[in-house]
Amino acid sequence: MQEQRNSELSNKVLIVGGGMGGIRAALDLAEAGRDVVLVDKSYSIGGLMTSLDRTFPTNNCDLCTLSPRLSESGRQLHIELMTMTEVGSLTGSVGKFKAGLTTRPRYIDLHKCTACGECYRQFPECVRFTPGLDHRAPTCMRYPQATPYAFSIDIDACKDIEALVGVCPAGAILPDDRQTTHEVDAGAIILAAGSELFDPRVLDTYGYGVYPNVVTSLEYERILSASGPTGGALVRPSDGKKPRKVAWIQCVGSRGLQKGSVPYCSSACCMYALKEAMVTRERFLEDIETTIFYMDMRTYGKDYELYLQRAKNDYGVRFVRSRPHSIDPAFSDGAMTGALDIGYMPYGSNLPAAEEFDMVVLTVGFRVSNEVRELAARLGVELNDHGFAKTETFEPVASSTPGIYVCGLFETPKDIPETLVQAGAAACCASAHLSSLRVVNDKKDDLPPERDITGEDKRIGVFVCDCENNIGGVIDVKAIAAELLGLPDVVAAETIGHGCSRDSLERIQEVIRKEKLNRVVIGACSPRTHEAVFQDTLRKAGLNKYLVEIVNLRDQDTWVHPDKPAFAASKAKELMHMGVGAVRMTHPLTDYTLPMNKDVLVVGGGVTGMKAALSLADGGFKVSLIERSQHLGGNARKLRRTLGGDDVQAYLATLVAKVEGNENIQVLKQAVVVDHTGMAGMFKTGVQVGPRMVYRQLVHGITILATGALPNRPSEMLLGKHKAVVTQLDLDSVIEDDPEKVKALQNIVMVQCVGSRVPENPNCSRICCQSAVKNALRIKALNPDASIYVLYRDMRMPGMQEEYYTRAREKGVVFVPYELDDMPVVGADGDKISVTFTDPVLGSTVNVPSDCLVLSTGFVADEESTEDLGIIFHLPRTSDGYFLEDHVKLRPVDLPTPGFFVAGAAHSPKNLRDSIAQAQAVASRAQTFLAGDAINMGAAIAKVDSNRCAACLICVRACPFDVPFINSEGHSEIDPAKCHGCGTCASACPAEAIALMQYEDDLIFAKLDGLFERTA
Amino acid sequence: MESFQPVIVAFCCHYCAYTAADMAGSKRLHYPANVKIIRVPCTGKVSALHIMEALRKGADGVYVAGCLDGDCHFRSGNTCATKRVAYVKKLLDEIGIGGERVEMFAMSAGMGEVFARTATDFTEKIRDLGPNPARVGLDKLGCVGAGA
Repeated sequence: MQEQRNSELSNKVLIVGGGMGGIRAALDLAEAGRDVVLVDKSYSIGGLMTSLDRTFPTNNCDLCTLSPRLSESGRQLHIELMTMTEVGSLTGSVGKFKAGLTTRPRYIDLHKCTACGECYRQFPECVRFTPGLDHRAPTCMRYPQATPYAFSIDIDACKDIEALVGVCPAGAILPDDRQTTHEVDAGAIILAAGSELFDPRVLDTYGYGVYPNVVTSLEYERILSASGPTGGALVRPSDGKKPRKVAWIQCVGSRGLQKGSVPYCSSACCMYALKEAMVTRERFLEDIETTIFYMDMRTYGKDYELYLQRAKNDYGVRFVRSRPHSIDPAFSDGAMTGALDIGYMPYGSNLPAAEEFDMVVLTVGFRVSNEVRELAARLGVELNDHGFAKTETFEPVASSTPGIYVCGLFETPKDIPETLVQAGAAACCASAHLSSLRVVNDKKDDLPPERDITGEDKRIGVFVCDCENNIGGVIDVKAIAAELLGLPDVVAAETIGHGCSRDSLERIQEVIRKEKLNRVVIGACSPRTHEAVFQDTLRKAGLNKYLVEIVNLRDQDTWVHPDKPAFAASKAKELMHMGVGAVRMTHPLTDYTLPMNKDVLVVGGGVTGMKAALSLADGGFKVSLIERSQHLGGNARKLRRTLGGDDVQAYLATLVAKVEGNENIQVLKQAVVVDHTGMAGMFKTGVQVGPRMVYRQLVHGITILATGALPNRPSEMLLGKHKAVVTQLDLDSVIEDDPEKVKALQNIVMVQCVGSRVPENPNCSRICCQSAVKNALRIKALNPDASIYVLYRDMRMPGMQEEYYTRAREKGVVFVPYELDDMPVVGADGDKISVTFTDPVLGSTVNVPSDCLVLSTGFVADEESTEDLGIIFHLPRTSDGYFLEDHVKLRPVDLPTPGFFVAGAAHSPKNLRDSIAQAQAVASRAQTFLAGDAINMGAAIAKVDSNRCAACLICVRACPFDVPFINSEGHSEIDPAKCHGCGTCASACPAEAIALMQYEDDLIFAKLDGLFERTA
Repeated sequence: MESFQPVIVAFCCHYCAYTAADMAGSKRLHYPANVKIIRVPCTGKVSALHIMEALRKGADGVYVAGCLDGDCHFRSGNTCATKRVAYVKKLLDEIGIGGERVEMFAMSAGMGEVFARTATDFTEKIRDLGPNPARVGLDKLGCVGAGA
């Protein structure tokens, strides 16, 4: 424990910005027992993501994924939410900040408003809204599950205030509401202020704002959205007709030098354009053509390359490598048709081309708004040239002011998973400045007592979620609900819009109370992701949480049978009948709990593992850090400089010293994991340590995997066979140690994607483009006359890295793209290497005799160790051998098995900076887990009916964990604290004396009956 | 027999096969709607009786899908299940229903494609085999409502 942390320090964090990043940071802190004040200038939280229709790479509907988070956020008792609020002033310093907050009047009493919408219906001009397209969305709430769920009045637009007040049935309108100010004490501050989207009106070449069928990507997103202005119908703004040809133009306002453009890359746009094109093709199939005009497709995230391949191969999205120079209206008989001609120079051609499209989407990137710049100035946070927060490579979320952290788009352009990772990292850093007093569970939920349902007749309520188009677009949910109402015991059956939204959950509670339900069936998405949300709802309505059955209508029906709606509908009915059958057999159950072990095991002593260990050790947790080699440091031991020029070895030396000197960290080198038992909160892991392989057992509550990846060395292009062929990693050291050798080089050729983005290793290794640019710039600095050719497929330099790419071109580095079916040909030529490739601009083959051939080989998964660890810990992996996280978008560092987390290159290839952010995020997630004092083991425990037990020992032999034993009374006994709940004993027992709670035999048989009563 | 739509019951373990089925959903991989999944914590929970009951009540085919060998979340539940499925197959051969109507499959949580392919292949196999003779027999006796 750190002595300087005492109760004088605040336990509170102020988070500015209630988008995805702010919400995630708030939830992490609150779950770890910290108090949070979350302020947002808008009238509801959710930020930019709430305007999106679906998100990549799951092509899931956002509202479904975000809204459980939002209701969580509204529910969390440690979080004080302040909307329409801004930070006016800041005094004090880290540990003892004082922030002055200003809240604008909402003119609505949040406690009274039920969001019935009466005010909007009668006085639409008086209600605030955020415009999506030029006309209004069907409701003025920003999205259907707004938090707080209340309107906001624009008093200046209101002519008859008295009449407006009169229409509100709840009496919630407060015409005399005034601006208020508050002062908040905070130990640390997180800025998650987000960014705006570029407004392409300033570009005179694309006719945005002039031609109605030129829209921005966000507007297109709103058109596709079921809660958008067209109710989800894809129509052209000019004439309401469905377009047949849609084009996307990438990098509008980004990666440019012309007026109004910024030089950086906005990072997320390639992926979201792919998503929009895929969703368009999916929904309208053969009727519509989709074309993307691009410079480089930057799909560098985890499995994003596979997403690009899917767009190309499965969805038939067309790709044209070119940056169009103009958009002009198309004419027919002298009149504008509404269609648009895109003028462009096809890559590798000297002849200009033009093509007609019905609609053009401008893919716009991110900009820091003036408001956020002013906020940063008020708080004394330094910004870079483009208004993003200034941070250091090794402290990716620390701003220039101690105690103020940043995350998300305000740090640099990025996508949602990376925003969530940074949010976790910011939460981790912020909690390091708080008082060490953890006040957990001091404010208990006000749950009603559980109703005793013994003796009650079964009263089943059925709720069918339409999940917007995800379920309702394929099957008629109303018809299903109506049909189920005819089943015995079913007393209520209705559809619910977004089943997981706050209002739907409240509606379920209301029906439970009103109809005195004692069983509930919910037809929705997967119980894997949403069971807890619905269980919680039952509990709030006074029912035991195990009296619900979730039927997976989305992931296992409408998503997989959209091509056969009739089959999908009959399957949905069958599944619902199975659910109703099963729920009849449910009965109230109690969760078992055990005390929690709060120690941490970190596997992997690279930078990621060390950083995670240090963050947790500084928080007072005992950490065992195990490393299989003799040294800490991992891949960073071989790395000399980062793209920004930081000295990696100096940083590493400091980090290793801190880790080895920390009394809360036990470092075990030459250690390998050999066995593992237990569950989250009570793991036991066996390791063999040192040259003598001494066996030790570690007892710990959670496990963090930071096992990294391996530098790839494929035996391609003479690597390992000719001394002039090296990898970027080799070259990094040569430049550092032997500058004279570099000065003597004349021709250098670099080949990108060697051993990456190929069938054997399908993903992008992410670090190679930056390594090539880094090394090219360093060679140019030492030897300006050297000729450097970089042969690439797509240059992937996201965010501010783009500036280094631009600089390299300015310095004369030549970048030439190649295609996978026209690879550069490499041959030995004495001391030199002859490299032959096609130059698309020249339209001919070029041969370069080079004295150094540098292969950008990137990473491969450490198959051997992830496979071993995957088996020992029972963790899933991706097809290319990286650990598979629980949810690619919303839980990027949580593994599916509770108590396991992953960070760094073991998750997917990434650079040092991103690895450090993940290490901190994992530490934050770990703290949320370790904050509790008890482990909930759930209710799925095997129980023995002693009257039927014949003590035959079959269960004793069947149990994979050796739990059952024959007790002194002569029958089998199963200790609930040890039972893992697999049910193997229950199905082995010949006397059917054992039942696995939650999965009893009669429940399974009832499902079968439910299925066959329809199909027999 | 072209219009024969077999009913397939798939017992899927929560940690691998059921997750793989969800993964198939996320990736929008299509497979026949004939397959109805029953979620179990582990394939070790599936007894011979569960499989036999499914067939008796009218399933034309039943499969149990669990984790890859050595990958079971509960150590060895899937090995138990493999043995039980083999036992049920033998039993079905003996009573003339045919063991090929029951199968054990293994897949990891990430294998959405494998889930979809397995569901498709198994459905086609059962379609080729025709209706479950036990069910046809019951239909003839008039014990169950008229079959298709």
